[in-house]
Amino acid sequence: MITTPDLIESLVARAEPVRRLRPPLARAAAWLLFAGLMLVLMVAIKGLRPDLGLSLRQPGFAIDVAAALATGILAAVAAFIVSLPDRSRLWLWLPVPALLVWIVNVGHSCLTAWVDIQPGMHLGDETGCVAALVMTGAPLALTLLIMLRHTALFDPTPVAIAGGLAVAGITASLLPLFHNHDASVLILVWNLGIAALLTAAAGAFGRRMFTWVAPR
Amino acid sequence: MPSSPSSAGPNLSVVKESAESSRTRDPAGRGDRTLDWSICMARAQEGDREAYRRLLEEIAPYLRSLAARLIQNRGDIEDAVQDALLSVHAVRHTYDPMRPFGPWLVAIARRRFVDGLRRRGRAASRETALEAEHETFAAPEANFQEAASDGRAVREALEGLPPGQREAIRMLKLEEMSLKEAAAASGMSVAALKVATHRGLKSLRKVFGRQGTQT
Repeated sequence: MITTPDLIESLVARAEPVRRLRPPLARAAAWLLFAGLMLVLMVAIKGLRPDLGLSLRQPGFAIDVAAALATGILAAVAAFIVSLPDRSRLWLWLPVPALLVWIVNVGHSCLTAWVDIQPGMHLGDETGCVAALVMTGAPLALTLLIMLRHTALFDPTPVAIAGGLAVAGITASLLPLFHNHDASVLILVWNLGIAALLTAAAGAFGRRMFTWVAPR
Repeated sequence: MPSSPSSAGPNLSVVKESAESSRTRDPAGRGDRTLDWSICMARAQEGDREAYRRLLEEIAPYLRSLAARLIQNRGDIEDAVQDALLSVHAVRHTYDPMRPFGPWLVAIARRRFVDGLRRRGRAASRETALEAEHETFAAPEANFQEAASDGRAVREALEGLPPGQREAIRMLKLEEMSLKEAAAASGMSVAALKVATHRGLKSLRKVFGRQGTQT
């Protein structure tokens, strides 16, 4: 085993200048900018749904998109703040109000427009939707993972959960803009379900994922 | 090495002493000392190796006292301190010099200590320390030389074998000759030796098996 003075010497020998991390808000903004670019890219590839204006006028749909977006943005801010070792874990509560609005809105839509669920899903349409989900979600998740990799050495799980929620919120708010379904309750439930799944997966595998990209 | 006091020049040791004496022992990690550490870390981030060495040498005893409060096993404390130092090094870019150094350091160290405890706990649940009594085999007869190799019984059983098998067993098993050597010594072919040994061992096994059931 190496002695501590020897270890210190070897660390000193490897002490190249490092670039300090920018403030967490600035880094969160950079990531959100990247998400915005993804949106532009998606619009360029797929085009907005033709009835977007009409759908956004339906309060359930508009609130869903807004709440998901707010959840995503606030969760991203929380993830970047909590990823620093000396910040309070209480920041993790930041996205919770927006998340509650999102959940309550979906629940409300389910109760009031239950009939909309009946027409059923068309499998073909949904595979296109999953592909779009992966295309948006994967780059966002990967970028976030790399930007937050320093957290692997202290407390990765809460950061992973916040990060998962950020990706889920942003993706869920972008996708309805491209769906060629009508703004049925099904989509809202589907979005929230995906968000729950992604956040749970981030909580379960976050530690491993962060260890994988950890700085050495 | 410049860090060890014996090899450092007299000038350096004087400077070091005065620097040490101006600093008070502050177990909570607040006050002048962490301000000093904060400045050292800010310089280290810019590549100032001397400041970095001073910082690491000063935080090491502090980390040790912090670890001693969490970890009982003295042998593990030094491991934990080194783990924390490595982590501090790996994430030194996350320190913001505008903020106090103490909480940053303690947050990292605590997390590493707790992770280490968990890791060692997991290892301890799977492993058993090797003690003197584990060094022999568990079966009781294996621990008595006399009972394990009753030479006389083996010799007598060997006498009862046909001459070819007896010779093969004697050369290959008792005298531990190689197949080539045994073939040269006996004039038998390697294949014949193998067959004879196999058959000999089989009949010996039969003899001892019978004796075992009789007794």
